[in-house]
Amino acid sequence: MKNIQDMLWVEWRKAVSSKIPLWTAICSIFMPLAIAFLIFAARNPEISQKLGLISVKANLVAYSSTNWSSYLGLTGMIIAAGGFFLFVLAVSWIFGREFADGTVKDMLAVPVQRSSILLAKLIVAAIWFILLTIVILIVSLIMGAVINLPGGSFDTILQGIFLVLITDCLVIAVSLPFALVASAGRGYILPLGLAVLTLILTNVVAIAGWGNYFPWAIPGIFAQGKNTLTAVSYLIAFVTGLAGMAGTYFWWKYADQNR
Amino acid sequence: MNLAIETNLISKRYRDVTAVDDLSLRVAEGEIYAFLGLNGAGKTTTIRMLLGMIKPTHGMATVLGKHVELCNREPWAKVGYMVETPHAYPELTVRENLEVSRRLHPGIAPQAVSHMIEQLGLAEYADRRAGVLSLGNVQRLGLAKALLHDPHLIILDEPANGLDPAGIVEIRELLLGLVRHQGVTVFMSSHILAEVSRLANRIGIIHQGRLIQEMDVAELEQNRRRRLLVRARNVEIASQVLSAAGFIGELLPGETLELNQLDAILQPDDIARILVEAGTPPTQLLVDEEDLEQYFLRLVGANGGSK
Repeated sequence: MKNIQDMLWVEWRKAVSSKIPLWTAICSIFMPLAIAFLIFAARNPEISQKLGLISVKANLVAYSSTNWSSYLGLTGMIIAAGGFFLFVLAVSWIFGREFADGTVKDMLAVPVQRSSILLAKLIVAAIWFILLTIVILIVSLIMGAVINLPGGSFDTILQGIFLVLITDCLVIAVSLPFALVASAGRGYILPLGLAVLTLILTNVVAIAGWGNYFPWAIPGIFAQGKNTLTAVSYLIAFVTGLAGMAGTYFWWKYADQNR
Repeated sequence: MNLAIETNLISKRYRDVTAVDDLSLRVAEGEIYAFLGLNGAGKTTTIRMLLGMIKPTHGMATVLGKHVELCNREPWAKVGYMVETPHAYPELTVRENLEVSRRLHPGIAPQAVSHMIEQLGLAEYADRRAGVLSLGNVQRLGLAKALLHDPHLIILDEPANGLDPAGIVEIRELLLGLVRHQGVTVFMSSHILAEVSRLANRIGIIHQGRLIQEMDVAELEQNRRRRLLVRARNVEIASQVLSAAGFIGELLPGETLELNQLDAILQPDDIARILVEAGTPPTQLLVDEEDLEQYFLRLVGANGGSK
């Protein structure tokens, strides 16, 4: 337990000393701000007309966010797509930087179990992501109030928050394999590239109607709140996370470390 | 004799490439063992196998009496190491980097960080980010991380890299002090052979993955080539005079005569006397001893040369 506390201190210190958390926080503020601006623009034709092509998108967003419930669903969608990318960025940084910076060798022949080091890394990545979610949620709630959305009962907002948090858990689960990609790819370029590819693929798979069985489409489908997911979908997300953790552990334990 | 490091026919193969081939090492506790080899000879692969970072294809390594195995983390509490170029977290300060190392070795008192900063001459840079340190200070930080937990065995890959001459002397004195006063064992690879000859008790030479020679410093003294270099105003006449006296030499460029007979090397005064009596007094007599660098290159050359 003491080892885990020490490793959490180590990973937290490394994470907060870098500039990456700041940039991810800025992105987290920007995303709900942009959505709120689009809704605001769509409601004000004089602004919408000046936006050109963006006004089409603004109308689309405004159409899908006519009240608090659908607006918070949209926040869940932001987390499922943008949040996914931010979490992969956090995971890639926490795992991949050890290889990119050549510091991994200092963690290999030490008395602390590698499993403790990996667990601390995952916990810090998860905390980092949850903090980003809270930022997204707070900005979304503030902006929802500012643009004066209708239907803002306590229950609706609570349900929205619940939806966002479950989406968070699903995003964390399906993103864990990227820790393995960052480790095996010995850096952060490969996982970030794969994350972009995954987002593109997710759209294609969702359009084809296979989203319920494609791990990275599951958080987005859940965030839509239409209850189309089955128990198999949740199981797929859970197994994906488990496979990601196990793969990362076995890779760190058994792969030759030449860096 | 207690062994700090022991390997038995340890090998590492990557498909068709044999990085280390049936290497058997014995490093006794309390000695400084220098591991020499050209780039790509297999030094770092051996060190990584000793530290459990790479699995041997064949054979087994033992460190401080414990087998190096994936699940056995016991030896690492007493082993300090620095593999290849030292790296540090660039956004953390020197002190924070050492604090990270301290927490990776449970049970080390927090004061150890300040102590090591003082000992390695890093006090001036303690609160500076590692990313802005000079190469020499990064090297010092790497050594500080290796020594932080008072290890019984220190494995160092090129410890003198990047250090200025004063730094090299300082680190040499530090390592010698640890060996003499605390009985620490040092296993180090180095390219700076003059430094190795000043520091090591025992030397192993690896070439193309194989240990081609292992010797202690006394053996090195015996093995290295010595010769007497003679210069005279007319070196050809001097050569004829010495030949007549039974000392057959070889003329070298630069009006120099080389004599390899042990009698000549041990008693250069006899050579001087013969030449003086013959009316061709020497202008220079020099007993030239092959240094470790020359010995190493001769040995490696005899074993297939550089890769």
